[in-house]
Amino acid sequence: MDCHDVLLVLLDYQQGRLAPEAHGQVRAHLDTCAGCAHEDRLEHELTQALERRLPQYAAPLSLKRRLAAKWPAEALLREEPKRWFARWIPAAAVALALVALAPLAWHRLPAPAGAGSGAMVAEAVNDHIRLVQSERPLEIESGGIHQVIPWFSGRLDFSPTVRFSGDADFPLRGGAIGYFVDRRAAALVYGRRLHTVSVFIFRADGLPWPRGEPEKMGRLDVWRTASRGFNVLLWRDGELGFAVVSEVDPRDLSLLVSRLSGPA
Amino acid sequence: MVGREALAYADGLYNLARYLTKNESDAEDLVQDTYGRAIRSAAQFTPGSNLKAWLFRILRNSFVSHYRRERHNPITGGLDTVAPRLPVPDDIGRLRESVEIDRLRKAAAEDIERALLALSEDARTVILLDLEGLNESETALVIGCAVGTVKSRLSRARAALRQTLREWEP
Repeated sequence: MDCHDVLLVLLDYQQGRLAPEAHGQVRAHLDTCAGCAHEDRLEHELTQALERRLPQYAAPLSLKRRLAAKWPAEALLREEPKRWFARWIPAAAVALALVALAPLAWHRLPAPAGAGSGAMVAEAVNDHIRLVQSERPLEIESGGIHQVIPWFSGRLDFSPTVRFSGDADFPLRGGAIGYFVDRRAAALVYGRRLHTVSVFIFRADGLPWPRGEPEKMGRLDVWRTASRGFNVLLWRDGELGFAVVSEVDPRDLSLLVSRLSGPA
Repeated sequence: MVGREALAYADGLYNLARYLTKNESDAEDLVQDTYGRAIRSAAQFTPGSNLKAWLFRILRNSFVSHYRRERHNPITGGLDTVAPRLPVPDDIGRLRESVEIDRLRKAAAEDIERALLALSEDARTVILLDLEGLNESETALVIGCAVGTVKSRLSRARAALRQTLREWEP
């Protein structure tokens, strides 16, 4: 590889996207070419400046609410507008009638346990699977909570208030930025023996929180459920929402919840 | 089918819209327009394909069609025709690059933002899509060019950004 070849793939090299052989060739060239080595450092500095200091603008909550309110039922998005329109008029009429009558019947029916939480549980499980299956799930490897939490600064429009640094039972492995439903979330990854436990922290407002009776865990009201073989715990703490997902025993997850909510 | 998971990309879309339109109000309109178009075009989306890249493509096309005010590319000759800058390995070159590294390290958020906004819309777009984590194939889909072109466009856009920051005087 000459200088021209190296400069063309320098970003791929820095982001670890080159095959091992090409990576080695670039490395070898950088070891012997002072000019390209300088270029390597400059590009690295530019990436650091962009990733850490370029302001990131989150969509205003009012915009997100408008978008969510206008988002049609998923069935409507499956077919061409004209076809679904004709087909769904009778169903829509029935649905409207049910909606109109629902308040009359509501007080007679007990609220189903966990009703409304389906979307949040599914999202939490999907996010957990994405983290576990990803080849590089962690954007920040753990050097302790005082390294991981500051890393989120500037990447989120809230501060993820977690002070549990991990311990021998639940070592903190690292963190990443993710999405929870329609908003950015901090994802913290703890270990539990050979298992992975994902903790997602996000703004709690505007989400379909469960209506069922929560379980008391210390000072927290926690909804506990299971989906697709994963145990999921959801709770609110002030303005923030938390979701813990893992295949480990629910009692172990309760232990983690108590440590996450504990004093600093 | 396009599900509500599309809403999860609102922050990323808004961030790009904000840097393209340069103001909050137009950025909100652009994102709202993007989702409106996505809903209307949902039947054209192939399930299993890349929803994120599809939404960014809609946003960029919408911007180019309705919001673009910049008609002249400030990078002479356009992104695809600027020759890559080869390193200068002599002492003067090293000194210059040391100064550049120092400036990059000292550049504050507003300096980096101002430098990015001084670039052409295309250059801004490829840099922001790269920061957003889109790979070359996804970026090619968004900006409507060949996959092989993305690498050189990004390289030139970053070179232009570095030049702007290099000329910045603290």
